[in-house]
Amino acid sequence: MISSVDEQQSLEKTRQRVFMALFIALAIGLHTFEALLPNPLPWFRIGLANILALTALSIYGLRAMWVLSLSRIFIGSLLIGNLFGPGFLLSLCGGVGACLLMSGGALLLQRGIGLVGLSILGASGHVCGQLFIASLVVVQHQSIWLLLPAFLLFALVSGVLNGLAADLLVDYLLEHPAFAACRKGFGYHHAKG
Amino acid sequence: MALNSLWARITKIDRLLMLLLIMLAVASLWLSLGRAVGRSVLIYEGETLAFTAPLSQDRHIELQGPLGVTQVEISAGKLRIISSPCQRKICIGMGEIHRSGDLLACVPNRVVVRIEGEEGDYDLLSR
Amino acid sequence: MLRRPLALIAALLLILLISWSLRPKPSAEVARTALIMGTLVEIKGVGPDQKHTEEAISAAFDIMKSEEARFSSRIETSQISAINRNKGALEADPEVLFVLQLGQQISRQSAGAFHMGLGRLIKLWGFEAVNPRVPETQAIKQLLPAFTQDAVSMAGTGVERTDPRIQLDLGGIAKGYAVDRALEVLRASGLQSASVNAGGDIGLLGGHGERPWKIGIQHPRKPGELLATLELRDRAIVTSGDYERFFEIDGVRYHHILNPQTGLPARACQSVTVVAPRVAEADALATAVFVLGPNKGLALLENSSAVEGLIVGADGQVKVTAGLKGQVQWR
Repeated sequence: MISSVDEQQSLEKTRQRVFMALFIALAIGLHTFEALLPNPLPWFRIGLANILALTALSIYGLRAMWVLSLSRIFIGSLLIGNLFGPGFLLSLCGGVGACLLMSGGALLLQRGIGLVGLSILGASGHVCGQLFIASLVVVQHQSIWLLLPAFLLFALVSGVLNGLAADLLVDYLLEHPAFAACRKGFGYHHAKG
Repeated sequence: MALNSLWARITKIDRLLMLLLIMLAVASLWLSLGRAVGRSVLIYEGETLAFTAPLSQDRHIELQGPLGVTQVEISAGKLRIISSPCQRKICIGMGEIHRSGDLLACVPNRVVVRIEGEEGDYDLLSR
Repeated sequence: MLRRPLALIAALLLILLISWSLRPKPSAEVARTALIMGTLVEIKGVGPDQKHTEEAISAAFDIMKSEEARFSSRIETSQISAINRNKGALEADPEVLFVLQLGQQISRQSAGAFHMGLGRLIKLWGFEAVNPRVPETQAIKQLLPAFTQDAVSMAGTGVERTDPRIQLDLGGIAKGYAVDRALEVLRASGLQSASVNAGGDIGLLGGHGERPWKIGIQHPRKPGELLATLELRDRAIVTSGDYERFFEIDGVRYHHILNPQTGLPARACQSVTVVAPRVAEADALATAVFVLGPNKGLALLENSSAVEGLIVGADGQVKVTAGLKGQVQWR
């Protein structure tokens, strides 16, 4: 058994690093997988990797969420070969938009928001960020905002689904002894016992 | 049931946010429908875009050019130049425009007015 | 690297900056206007990049201005004015010779319905003057015999008016030629798509992006409304109408398309639209057909190769050449 507090902390830090690396790898996998899916609208993505951003947020906090999101966007784009392209700019603005809104929600609504709520904030931020950059780079015309209603509804659906997935994932992970020191950051706590 | 347990994971605030998002989507839909029919007026002083306005709103605009002030009027969905310091007043004689792609200009005073918007019936007019 | 987040962030920002500067800039359509030859000329173009397109359009306007300096009978130093003042033969530039030859050809084909030497007659009518009036019958009659023959005789590079009453006024055909030259410049600059609209005389390069250009034809009797639309690529289209330049006295409209035989405004048509490979040709033909009237005019169009058109007669009836039937979308 580890006795000293210092060693306990450093073990936790190491665990966090390792799991974050795994989460990032998973997020990159989802990011590149999404890029392969057929899509009527070029460069717009569903944002499945957000599930992991939410998980990181819940277990490790805001900074981890940002690290995860930005890493998977940059590395993912490297892998797809998209790094200086418009698709990268869209992913980045979508990701930053999502993180901004999730940060806002996490800080302001800490005492009542759940992962689903954070997820729909993230999805909305993602949509707005993408439309913003698309209006500047892709379409160069404000008419793209006419797509906003459809995109918002889409954000609602994907937000709820991603949020539920993240919620389930967090509960599942926290049952594992490797996460014994962690707590679920947001939402209702369904941990047994 | 499984669905209930899923629903139970959604907090009160989450539900509130969902409702807000739906309202936002409906509101943006409402706004975009209102705009879809809009044609806008673009006014250039020389090379720079000086002014844009919707064609649907009555308006009186004064534009500064090298010769002086050109006055443009938007009324009842139509646009015309009502006064200009140029010598031959060709711009005033050009009358009214209202279609997408239509153009009025006082070239001596370097003022160009055009209508843009949803795809017009045609690109160019032969007359 | 994670120990030095600043270095990491700097690197990420650098990547972001590079991506931003490399972003695709869709070539937007550039539209510019200028007043040339007494008309508002609008040139629209799409090229590989904005700056290049603007330069090409500038060059196109420049060439139109230089043609105006060559052809305008209102500019004292133009070659046309010189020919108008001169008693014998005068040496002319190849451009002038080209236009005069084209004009003579159409003049002959139309049995004189199109004539390049109506300058004095047009001045009598004074359409551009502040107080236009109907000229005295005698004044008109005096000029008419001059219009029964070619306006000029050309030997080598020399041009001479066939009669002292002839004053060259090349109006539409010169304007059309200037548009053709502008299009040459735009084409040579590598633009994929462009249009030059000189007060209704239209020349097209390519289509409008992927689609053909959609050209609206003004309704001769309903201002602000269309008669029809046509889809065209790489063509010239010119409409002559009795509604463009005119004055009214005692309820009678006197418009600017004069019949060389009578010296009076031609009454057989309301408007004529001609589609041809070049604008100069289309303009001269439109004038000729307008004077000839629907029947003879249609025959002239059908007999001219690569030329199509539609004619709105004085009674409002429309005739369309065989090649254009089915391509016109009526309103």
